[in-house]
Amino acid sequence: MSFHNLQELRHSASLANKVFIQRDYSEGTTCKFQTKFPSELESRIERTLFEDTVKTLNNYYAEAEKIGGQSYLEGCLACATAYLIFLCMETRYEKVLKKIAKYIQEQNEKIYAPRGLLITDPIERGMRVVSFPL
Amino acid sequence: MPSSGADSLKPSAFIPVCTAACLLVGSTSLFFVFTCPWLAVTICPAVPPCCAILFLLVLANFTMATFMDAGVLPMASEDEDKDDEFRAPLYKNVDVKGVQVRMKWCASCHFYRPPRCSHCSVCDHCVEDFDHHCPWVNNCIGRRNYRYFFMFLLTLTVHMIGVFTFGLIYVLHHMDDLWKLHCTVTLVVISISGLFLIPVLGLTGFHLYLVSRGRTTNEQVTGKFQGGVNPFTRGCCNNLEYLVCGPLSPRYAGRPLKKTAVHIHPPFLRPEIDRQMALKVRDNGLQSHDVQKKRSSAGAVELSDVKLKTPPPLPPKPDHGLMKSQVAVTEEVGHYTKSIIPVSIPTVPQLRPVLEAISRGSSPIPPEQLLKASDQPGTRSPDLRSESRDSPVKGVQQDHMPVQPPLQTNTSSLQLNSLTLSSRSLTLKHSGRHGSKSQLPNMHSDSIGSNPPPGSVPSSGLLPNHSSLSYDNLINSEGPQFLGQRGAPSVGYHPHFMTLGSDGTLIQRPSPHAYSPVFMGVTRQSPQPRDPSPSLQGLSSRDPSPSFQGFIQRDPSPAFQGLMPRDLVSQSLTSRDVPPPSLAMRDVTSHSLRDSLRDLGAQGLTPPKSATVRYDNFSKTIMASIQERREMEERDRMLRLQARSQALYGPDVGVYDIPSRRSLPPDNIRPPGSRGPTPPAYGSREFLMSTGILGYGIRSSPLSSSSTSSLTRGPKTSSSPLQSSSSSSLQSKGRSSSPAYCPPDRHTQPLPSSTSTLPRLPSSSTSSSSSTPLYATYATTKRSSLTYSSEGKESVALGTLK
Repeated sequence: MSFHNLQELRHSASLANKVFIQRDYSEGTTCKFQTKFPSELESRIERTLFEDTVKTLNNYYAEAEKIGGQSYLEGCLACATAYLIFLCMETRYEKVLKKIAKYIQEQNEKIYAPRGLLITDPIERGMRVVSFPL
Repeated sequence: MPSSGADSLKPSAFIPVCTAACLLVGSTSLFFVFTCPWLAVTICPAVPPCCAILFLLVLANFTMATFMDAGVLPMASEDEDKDDEFRAPLYKNVDVKGVQVRMKWCASCHFYRPPRCSHCSVCDHCVEDFDHHCPWVNNCIGRRNYRYFFMFLLTLTVHMIGVFTFGLIYVLHHMDDLWKLHCTVTLVVISISGLFLIPVLGLTGFHLYLVSRGRTTNEQVTGKFQGGVNPFTRGCCNNLEYLVCGPLSPRYAGRPLKKTAVHIHPPFLRPEIDRQMALKVRDNGLQSHDVQKKRSSAGAVELSDVKLKTPPPLPPKPDHGLMKSQVAVTEEVGHYTKSIIPVSIPTVPQLRPVLEAISRGSSPIPPEQLLKASDQPGTRSPDLRSESRDSPVKGVQQDHMPVQPPLQTNTSSLQLNSLTLSSRSLTLKHSGRHGSKSQLPNMHSDSIGSNPPPGSVPSSGLLPNHSSLSYDNLINSEGPQFLGQRGAPSVGYHPHFMTLGSDGTLIQRPSPHAYSPVFMGVTRQSPQPRDPSPSLQGLSSRDPSPSFQGFIQRDPSPAFQGLMPRDLVSQSLTSRDVPPPSLAMRDVTSHSLRDSLRDLGAQGLTPPKSATVRYDNFSKTIMASIQERREMEERDRMLRLQARSQALYGPDVGVYDIPSRRSLPPDNIRPPGSRGPTPPAYGSREFLMSTGILGYGIRSSPLSSSSTSSLTRGPKTSSSPLQSSSSSSLQSKGRSSSPAYCPPDRHTQPLPSSTSTLPRLPSSSTSSSSSTPLYATYATTKRSSLTYSSEGKESVALGTLK
């Protein structure tokens, strides 16, 4: 039985070639990543799997940035408490980010690591890219 | 206050924020201490609590604006930018809601800044949705803290208004105790609040405006969306909603990386797809070869080879068997040259001395010499010609440029090759066809009014744009052939001239040879005005004649035909049909030139080199000489006509006044290097007459207008082109004006028809004062061609008027 630690994978990946999925700005500055299948991954992973991953991520981000009742309440509450609430409670966005991180890790374990790939959380790069160390 | 480094911790940076903080806190504190008690008692006890809450909000927002990460984008790690660092363009365009937004490469952070992102020089980091760097909070205002900043401004404004108002009330109620402590403090407080209220109010209003427009301060100041569409705005209401209710973006920088262990168990999956990395297909220049090969069906390899070569390589020994193909090449070259080649005279060393001699006005080098010269470099062209011939009509694209230089040189080598007759004409055709329409008119003007080589005149000098093209063609292609060919195409292009009946026949114009520049050269050279023999003599003595003969002898290449499908087909046929001895053909085709042609032919084939060489000067010297010759002839004609037309046309006869010298351009007006005026040779006269017929229509209007300088006058618009035809037209007009006047040639016969229009033309004459410039402008390139076309049109119209 041998399993590879993601740490080791990341370390080696940092030196290896990487594929970057850039942001899709067609709808403004909302966080959204391009679903275009990079050519470098042609042979590594199925197109549908990749697109599913990216689309799920985009959905997560859209949910986090959605302007609705929850965000309004959050704002009012924060304002009312002179933003002291932020000391106690994490924002909705942060909660979604946690969900995303979990999702990415799950994807890595199930789909990408067996294929020798790895998805890095875009938040680590300022939400600019989704990197795929090859 | 975020700081990115030791450098950012400048003490001076904290002064504004400290000042602001002190002022805010201090003033408010004083207000609460000294003013609020009285307010609570006097006005309302709720006043102080409200003010306190308000002040609290101000502080909170101030703190958030000061200490909150504005949305700093962390620097890109090395692996992300290793490709972009050195080769990436500075800007990358991205489409945001249909609007092209430019993303700039941030040299400090090593990534392309997302839209609305900007790099703060004070903080030295890129900030998302960068608004500005506020010194009062010593922080960048960006995506994450803009709301707090805006709220800070709002609350501060309200707070300041409140403090000012209440303080004022207090002071007003304590006017008698103004210098008491409470009052004094309140006065100070209201003065401070009053003083800072104005800028804060202005700033608040400004940001309200920005929010409503969906812009950031950075965008407003830089004027990004001043006149365009802002793709980032959601509308005024939605913008406010987003501002107030929008989510708080997460922090990017300084996040703890959660490295979780990923346990991977076999089996390790591999996709079925073969590992084949996409290979970048680079263009290593093969495309050019392909293009070349496509263009030239024959000798493609050679063509490409030639193209690849840098300054024109010497072509192989010309093979006469390939000459025709080469002609096609030349025509192709002509295309290229026309479209692309700037003035780049192919360096034909052998021809240089000849050209120089001609330019100097010295006796032209015997054609034999020219022929020799041409033969030597001519080897190159055969290959090219063959190639071009195969694709004469096709691919006259600009992209043939690379082929041009070698082709040019090759063609130049083949210039004097008798077999390249068609090529030259083809080039002319192409130039006329593809080139600016100025070329066409030039050709026509040439063919019509003057003997100057239809191609040479327009191509060589008259067409600035295509001058190189045509000029090069002239130089490169065989002179006589080229000349003759050009005549044909030009004729074809202007059917109206044909209708005018150069020879009274609407058939295709006489063989191009009739209008070949050779005649021009011949006539030009021959001093005798009306004597056929002089033309011959001139021909013999001058280069054009030999070239012309050589030209005559050349058999137009099939490419020629291909080049002029529409108009010149017939003519090309005619030209092509011209046998090498061509004289017979000439007789059939060109009336006016018949004699001269015969004469020329009688003199034997002379290497066309002289003619081709002459083209070099056609633009200047030849044109000038031609003009002069025409003037002479016109003068003579006018003299005769005047006598005859006096009775016929009365006032209009003025048109036929003896062409005084004043009407003609001064002799000194001559392109530099041009030869002295030479009386038109017989051939030239014939030529002029025949061409004059064509130009007659145009002329008729100017001529009809009575003017002393009728001879040289023409439609104002068609100055230069008319010049070429002016002489001829004038002559023709002169002839036609007097029915009794029997033109010596047959060419004049059609004139009467055209001349009959003269009387009607006075009204249509554009201007009669354009005479003098006619000759002067003859040398002008474009104008002549352009006006020439207009002339042609006019002639057609005139013809119809009949």
